Amino acid sequence: MLCKDMEFVVEQEGLAPLPEAAQAHVATCSHCQGFVADLAAIVSVANELPAEVEPPARIWVSLQAQLELEGIIKTPVVPAHGERSSGWHGFSDLFRSRALATATVGLLIIAAGALQLRKPPDASLETNGSIADPVWQVPFAQTAKVLNEQEIDLRNMQPASTSAVDTSFRQNLQQVDDFIADCERRVSAAPQDELAREYLSNAYQQKAELLSAMMDREGSMH
Amino acid sequence: MGLGIMRLTALRWHMNLSALKSPVNFTPAPPEPRVKLSMLPVLAAAAFLCSGASAVAAAQHFEKHFAVKTRPVVVIHNVANGRIEVKSWKNSEVDVLASQTSDKIGFDMEQAGDRIDVTATILDRSAQPQELEASLQLTVPEETELQLKTETGLIYVEQVMGDMTLESVAGDVHLNEVSGYIIVRTTEGSLVCTQCAGKLDFKSIRGGAQVLQPALTNVSLFTTSGNILFDGDFVRTGLYTMKSGKGLVEVRFSGNDSFDLKAQTAVGTVDNQAAAYLKPDSHGAKHLASKFTKGLFGTVGQGLAKVELSSYSGTIRILKRD
Repeated sequence: MLCKDMEFVVEQEGLAPLPEAAQAHVATCSHCQGFVADLAAIVSVANELPAEVEPPARIWVSLQAQLELEGIIKTPVVPAHGERSSGWHGFSDLFRSRALATATVGLLIIAAGALQLRKPPDASLETNGSIADPVWQVPFAQTAKVLNEQEIDLRNMQPASTSAVDTSFRQNLQQVDDFIADCERRVSAAPQDELAREYLSNAYQQKAELLSAMMDREGSMH
Repeated sequence: MGLGIMRLTALRWHMNLSALKSPVNFTPAPPEPRVKLSMLPVLAAAAFLCSGASAVAAAQHFEKHFAVKTRPVVVIHNVANGRIEVKSWKNSEVDVLASQTSDKIGFDMEQAGDRIDVTATILDRSAQPQELEASLQLTVPEETELQLKTETGLIYVEQVMGDMTLESVAGDVHLNEVSGYIIVRTTEGSLVCTQCAGKLDFKSIRGGAQVLQPALTNVSLFTTSGNILFDGDFVRTGLYTMKSGKGLVEVRFSGNDSFDLKAQTAVGTVDNQAAAYLKPDSHGAKHLASKFTKGLFGTVGQGLAKVELSSYSGTIRILKRD
């Protein structure tokens, strides 16, 4: 038996018990002795590790969002406004879990952005200024709707906290809202301004992260 | 992706070592034998100044040493008001000195192998803000990974090498001579990064970022309304992205720098004070600004690094240092 045969034997049959031919080879080969010893040590340490807990669902959702953002996996298609199925309500309920808020909004933004960027430029939009397609009219409308609902929920949960952190959160949320409004005006006026659209997308992401942080804080305080 | 993977790694790390944990409850009373607890007398002046806060009985200090073997991971979560200061030394030991203004804050500290966790928690939700001040001073080995999270206090890190994630709501983040993959997230706190090396990723809503004399190979700065200042050399082959929605983005480069520049703004302005140094792109790539944006493209030197600047309505300024 040769050293390369040893690797095959171990791969196929495991370490214990080694076949006689393999044992005979190991007895005379220092390289394979080291190989077997290393494997035995790895198996031993692995057996001592505690069983891993299944990571929470939000980890996978967050990973999925990031993979889609990087273009590694494809974005699921978001139905157009008028085609929302009843499944939306279930999705909306899912979103209400603050643990999923940021990741879900990330997905929405990506999906909406992808849909809008894929749309071919319409020359008539620039010439007559009329905007017939509702997707152009209200960019990230789904995202905006969900985030606004979250904001209202949060205000109801947190009526009048005066702590410095809560005040800071509220002021920054207002800042982001103002910036979103500013970007929306620009995108409505110049739908093909990709830079403004990029800033609008980033602003929604920041709003989602901010709301998530506010809800986490609210949860930890109560 | 990096942050997500880092969190996942941290989760796995936490799970795998859970059996090795040796929790130490660090609430002010009763103190543990290994803890140096000093109850400082009430300062007359402080009592006078804080006469309205009777619960602020005394400043309290706790100190604990954690022996470590290799590059430790230090995780701090400070929900109270106060600063986190991290400096390094040559010892294979993490020293934590915690100070608090009242007994309404508790410190939990635990060591699991080379991971040190310190968490400041509010024990009494009805406490006044001045009773909720807690600061942490850490001295760590030079090669240490950090995960620091605070709400309102300053985060200050000096001469530490290692990946770090620093999060703050309203507190500023000051970094001096640090290196590694540096991730900073704030809501309105600003970043000042002096002589930093490695990679820097900063995001904020109202916070600004100043990057001074860096040796960073990868920089990503994004703020909605803060200002950005980059004053230093661009490492050849480095990638630099700086974006501010409404703030000023200012880059000061040196005559020896070599980079391709792409600057774009939607409704802001581009203030090019370095026209004499900017030449048309020497790599043959033809850049055209969108008709909806104002853009500036060019090359300084051989164009070895890549610099992308953008704003929504803020000013982008490019100038050469004296």
